[in-house]
Amino acid sequence: MAKGIVRDIGVFGAACVCGVASGMFGIGGGVLLVPLLGLLFSYGQHRAQGTSLVALIPPTGLLGLLAYARHDLVSWRTGLLLIPGVFLGGIAGGVLARKLKPERMRHVFAGILLIVGVWQALSAWVR
Amino acid sequence: MSLTILLLGLGVGVLVGLLGIGGGVVLVPAMVYFLRMDQHLAQGTSLFILLPPIGLGALREYWKEGQVDLRAGIFCALGMLFGALAGSLIALPIPSRELKGLFGCFLVFAALLLWGKAGREGQEFVDKGERADG
Repeated sequence: MAKGIVRDIGVFGAACVCGVASGMFGIGGGVLLVPLLGLLFSYGQHRAQGTSLVALIPPTGLLGLLAYARHDLVSWRTGLLLIPGVFLGGIAGGVLARKLKPERMRHVFAGILLIVGVWQALSAWVR
Repeated sequence: MSLTILLLGLGVGVLVGLLGIGGGVVLVPAMVYFLRMDQHLAQGTSLFILLPPIGLGALREYWKEGQVDLRAGIFCALGMLFGALAGSLIALPIPSRELKGLFGCFLVFAALLLWGKAGREGQEFVDKGERADG
């Protein structure tokens, strides 16, 4: 039982780190949470992804959003237009994930992130 | 323009379900490049999109397969709630240009983490036995 509590605290701590990234970069944090659950707590890939989705159900970004909104840094209209697509696409992706072996998908996705990340950093800092 | 935004949402949604992520990591650069938003505005808008339970449909599919650790998920949600507040307070005073560069570095870091995890796939079955006592 004590082992379970230690693990809970560990999970909570890892999630706090993901939360900082979430507020800092305006993301859900799942992109960090999924690999961390796998690496630190030996979750299988599907289980890490399912658990990450639980963490995304409550409005975890609410406090962060309020901070941005106070500085008028939210485009409400674009947000409203994006929400239905993300929801419907999410169902499709969930069905796909049950059928696919996720490792190749994750490699492709990691590759895309790497390219976008390098591009963003270069466009911000190199003229 | 509105159609572009709707389709963009749909594409990001597929990734949400497929990879169990919020989608912001894709949405933010997409809004910066396709919708010409400023980095801070894109991040604030992304946090707004993540407010409703957009991953609920995807979660249901994982639930059917028993691939959800509800207890750990709740602890994660709690941690992320307060972490996100701290993170946004760090980000707001940073100039947009610098923030964009930092975001890029974060993406590279996330990509490496994701890639690294892929190599450990073989452990999946061992983990299942170990979890039974949890």
